Amino acid sequence: MSEKPPFVFPKWINKATLGLLATLAIAPVYLIILLGYGANARTLNVGFSPKQPVPFSHALHAGKLGINCYYCHTDVMRAAFAALPPTQTCLNCHAEIAPKSKELEPVRDSDGLGPASKAGLPVPWIKVNDEPDYVYFNHAAHINAGVSCLTCHGRVNEMTQVYQAKPLNMAWCLACHRNPGPNLRPRNEVTNLNWNPNNKVQLARDLGLKESQLPKNLGKYLVKKYKIASTKLLTDCQTCHH
Amino acid sequence: MFRIQHYFMIGSSVFLLLLLPLMIIALKRHERSATPRLAIIQDMDKMPYLKPQRKSDLFADTRGMRPHIAGTLAREDFIYINQAETQLHPNNWAATHVVLNSKMQYEKVLYGQVLRDGQGDWVKAIPIHVTPEFVNRGQQKFDVYCGPCHGDNGRGNGLVNQYVAQLRTEGSPDAGTWVQPTDLTSPAVKYMPDGQIYGVITNGIAAMAAYKDQIPVVDRWAIVAYVRALELAAAPVPASKLPAQDRPPEPTGKVAKVATDGMQVAAATSQEQKQ
Ligand code: HEC
Ligand code: HEC
Ligand code: HEC
Ligand code: HEC
Ligand code: HEC
Repeated sequence: MSEKPPFVFPKWINKATLGLLATLAIAPVYLIILLGYGANARTLNVGFSPKQPVPFSHALHAGKLGINCYYCHTDVMRAAFAALPPTQTCLNCHAEIAPKSKELEPVRDSDGLGPASKAGLPVPWIKVNDEPDYVYFNHAAHINAGVSCLTCHGRVNEMTQVYQAKPLNMAWCLACHRNPGPNLRPRNEVTNLNWNPNNKVQLARDLGLKESQLPKNLGKYLVKKYKIASTKLLTDCQTCHH
Repeated sequence: MFRIQHYFMIGSSVFLLLLLPLMIIALKRHERSATPRLAIIQDMDKMPYLKPQRKSDLFADTRGMRPHIAGTLAREDFIYINQAETQLHPNNWAATHVVLNSKMQYEKVLYGQVLRDGQGDWVKAIPIHVTPEFVNRGQQKFDVYCGPCHGDNGRGNGLVNQYVAQLRTEGSPDAGTWVQPTDLTSPAVKYMPDGQIYGVITNGIAAMAAYKDQIPVVDRWAIVAYVRALELAAAPVPASKLPAQDRPPEPTGKVAKVATDGMQVAAATSQEQKQ
């Protein structure tokens, strides 16, 4: 009977152990960094920008032509849903301006100037900012509280194609709901995306005060003036999930 | 045999390899994407209930929101007819309601004219109590809906008109059949009854489209009040011509001057209203 020699680790294992230990130490840290960076809401949600059926440019209409958001999104200060404008709103101008433009064909089709099968059907705009259906969001509540479109949608007046500018996840909503003050401005400046809080003359006019009467802390003043609900209520699950 | 250099090379290539995914992510964060985010777990993200401005297979034409039925009012157009006075609903900043006391009042407010056998007389004065707040509201709405074309000063040269005029001088076909909007401070508008201006906003005129679907009834009247204020601003009434109770205090300094000018306009408008 020959005896089997006892098992001996080969010599290179000594070196491999070092690598193995290093991997074991680095891997979890690396995975956490990778997931935290790659799977966070800022990475996943921001930047969604589908190609729309009509290449409508906010940079031209809301920026260069200076048309107020309310002109098209008429119900945003009265309703939960910020409606997209109906075809007629575009035709207020485009019956006369660029009446033959190829890019505006879907708008004219919708108005009944094209094939009969499309007459009366809306332009099939693609929704960009989209909350899950189990979340209740309300535009009017925010607009009337003096939260600007800018805070939640970014510089729309400079976008040639709308993209999602903010993560719109729960942590983002709550960050503001815990301390809304710094994000508030006078109501009639909500759609003015170039609003400058340091323009005292304008601010005084907006608030109906004299310049010498201006509050030191605008946020605090507006929270009181617009009777903003308490943080307790604004962070209650039922406010957004019901 | 392994040398220290080998360790270094392996180490640094592993490091670069690990860095690669992070760099791809960093790049993606700054790019726009035409596809929505990947939702592996759907939770209850998409529920089958009907949402505004979405499709619905319940209807043959797939329009989830149904068109307006002729002869009916939308709920937000509802106007109370049973209470004492015609004025703005007091408590709500965004209110679009007025309180009315009779059928005639209702016609005046809703159509800008009193209907007799289908023939209308334009209402002479705004049938809603005009206050400085009401004129302010008119200004806000005017700047939104009228300003782009008529200009914030009403002279008929808003940014859209300027832009299209530019297109026309460049010979672009996109200038289309555009005509310059009316100067709202011109005599033609100045001597229109209030009801007729309301009528133009409501039903449109010539190249201007109807704005009744975009602007609620009360806001249309507020705009009429502000158009009157613009006319006054173009040809102001001296404070000495105003009745004593509407006369502003003596201005002191520059800022006070601006404020009293505003009051003058508002006061003059409410004065006109009383006549
Ligand atoms: C001339 C009309 C018009 C004006 C003025 C206008 N919009 Fe829009 N808006 C549209 C149309 C049409 C769409 C849908 C097409 C698109 O997404 O580009 C839209 C889409 C949007 C969206 C994306 C909606 C979604 O699907 O999530 C946002 C946000 C938005 N607008 C904000 C604004 C803001 C803020 C302003 C004012 C600075 C403004 N809009 C002014 C017509 C207008
Ligand atoms: C207040 C007036 C106004 C309204 C309302 C308006 N537009 Fe425009 N639009 C313009 C002007 C002015 C231009 C510039 C025309 C040009 O440069 O050829 C323009 C240009 C465009 C163009 C580029 C056309 C081309 O051939 O270059 C598109 C597309 C367009 N608009 C879409 C829309 C849509 C969709 C709506 C409705 C949501 C709309 N517009 C509402 C005034 C308006
Ligand atoms: C507090 C944040 C916030 C503010 C302020 C805000 N929005 Fe939004 N907006 C959202 C969110 C969140 C959505 C997605 C809602 C959904 O999918 O239910 C949205 C969606 C929209 C849409 C698509 C239609 C809809 O309602 O889903 C439009 C258009 C829009 N916003 C325009 C505006 C305009 C114009 C303003 C300023 C007058 C504005 N928003 C102010 C957060 C905001
Ligand atoms: C920049 C600040 C800000 C952000 C971001 C924000 N909110 Fe708000 N929200 C407010 C303020 C301020 C109020 C208080 C309104 C009041 O009390 O009048 C409010 C009120 C509400 C209400 C109560 C409305 C009602 O009907 O009483 C809901 C629901 C709500 N927010 C949902 C959301 C959701 C969902 C998001 C995220 C998509 C969000 N909010 C993001 C500032 C914000
Ligand atoms: C200010 C509004 C707001 C409040 C308050 C709020 N949520 Fe949310 N919640 C949201 C939004 C917005 C989302 C959608 C997140 C997304 O799309 O990534 C959400 C998502 C969720 C989800 C699903 C997460 C997922 O990705 O599956 C759960 C669970 C949830 N909320 C629980 C709660 C609970 C519990 C509370 C109370 C402690 C609460 N929420 C309070 C806005 C709110």
